[in-house]
Amino acid sequence: MNKKLKNVITFILALLSYGAFIALFIYLYPGSNNFDLFRLEENFGLIYEGFKLTILISIIALFLSVIFGFILYLGINSKYQYIKHLANIYNEVIFGIPLVVFLTFMYFFIFAPFRTDLSTEITRIEPIIVGTIAISIYMAPYIKNVFEGAIKSIDENQYQAMTVFGFTTYQKYRYIILPQLVKVIIPPLIGNFSYVIKSSTLLHVILVNELYAEIKRGMLSRYAIMEGYVFMFFLYLLITIPLIRLAKWFERRYGV
Amino acid sequence: MRVVIKDLVKTYDEKLILDNINLDIRDRSGIAIIGASGAGKSTLLRLMSLIETPDFGSICVNDHHLDEIKEDVYYKKIGFVFQSHTLFPHLTVLRNITLILEKVHGKSEEDANQIAMKLLTKFDLAEHIDKRASQLSGGQSQRVSIVRSLALNPEVMFLDEPTSALDPVLTQEVLQTILKLRDEHMNFVIVTHEILFAKKAADYIIFMKDGKIIEMGDVSILDHPNTDELKDYLSNVFLWD
Repeated sequence: MNKKLKNVITFILALLSYGAFIALFIYLYPGSNNFDLFRLEENFGLIYEGFKLTILISIIALFLSVIFGFILYLGINSKYQYIKHLANIYNEVIFGIPLVVFLTFMYFFIFAPFRTDLSTEITRIEPIIVGTIAISIYMAPYIKNVFEGAIKSIDENQYQAMTVFGFTTYQKYRYIILPQLVKVIIPPLIGNFSYVIKSSTLLHVILVNELYAEIKRGMLSRYAIMEGYVFMFFLYLLITIPLIRLAKWFERRYGV
Repeated sequence: MRVVIKDLVKTYDEKLILDNINLDIRDRSGIAIIGASGAGKSTLLRLMSLIETPDFGSICVNDHHLDEIKEDVYYKKIGFVFQSHTLFPHLTVLRNITLILEKVHGKSEEDANQIAMKLLTKFDLAEHIDKRASQLSGGQSQRVSIVRSLALNPEVMFLDEPTSALDPVLTQEVLQTILKLRDEHMNFVIVTHEILFAKKAADYIIFMKDGKIIEMGDVSILDHPNTDELKDYLSNVFLWD
């Protein structure tokens, strides 16, 4: 048997094993004879809205976190001690705090004065905005690491050359460093995008109706626990697996 | 060119690298700094090009007092060629040159292209203009680096062991290019292990050992060394002759 065929067959076998494992637990689950994905049918519209919202939030959060991450990188590498300390403290604190704590802290504490007008109780800033900003800020140190690794990949001699040629700091980044970074940085950024998507599930704690929240709502209102989890797994994997594949493809394609 | 150095001292981590260097060289166009590894040659070159600053002492290159001049002003007046890997890999050969001419030296795109093309042609590199560093041999890459510095029309070019990362064939190719610098009336200071080349290209030799200048003078000192140290060094270099 050739190697490739063997690989495919063992892969399918592995998948089937997991399938059997899940089937067993569906069988064991109380009331399992009622397994019916269409029990959630009436929620499909909302689940689709949640799906779109999750993607939208994740794209914006990733975009912002790239900006914040880059600023943080510049801060940590600043020649001004004060700015360096500011950046380092931020970095340490964020790395040490669980996301769910940070999210609720941002929503219920930091943004509280801006969130609702206390006299009229009118919401002025939507939780989705606070949530997106919070995830962006939370991701910044991770993105900073991505920048750090990528910038290290540029040969030391090039930095000296840039200096001796008289480039200003702006010119160094604009013409030499950033164009080289783009290639190196894309695979880890895609990886982080997948991490942002997974993290966005936590937004339900501040009442954002993203994918997890919508499916959960369907599960509870339609008594469709099993079906809900099947959906969740399927939909999240539908986003994250292609992303991880894309990152790997990019690495191979551009030999990063 | 004129180079005057007084009481120069440089240490790294309390280790003495340059130990009281003094020299006064006038009206020379090619200075070669030779000596065994760890003699402090490259450090001296880096101090002369203001990539690093001394702990003590002063350096004057032409009219520029290095402790007074601003780095960015000085950098626009000199060229520097490193040992290796200094072409920007994401840019073509041509762009490696024109980018600096345009962005740092304020030339127009047309002028920059013209200057670069003229030199690349003169140095037999015209066929490579659209290649990237990864598509060049080590020798070609170093030649482009040299042309890139030359294009900036510097007062002085500093070359830090430009052939040390190359095999003997590629080394010859690069040395030929440096010889051409002389035809261009370019002033240069080179750190090199290629003694025969130094003899041919330079008109002044500085021999260093253990952070000190042991002997300096016309290239004739290579044929008639006055000190035992230079004699030893040369006899080791030419062991097989």
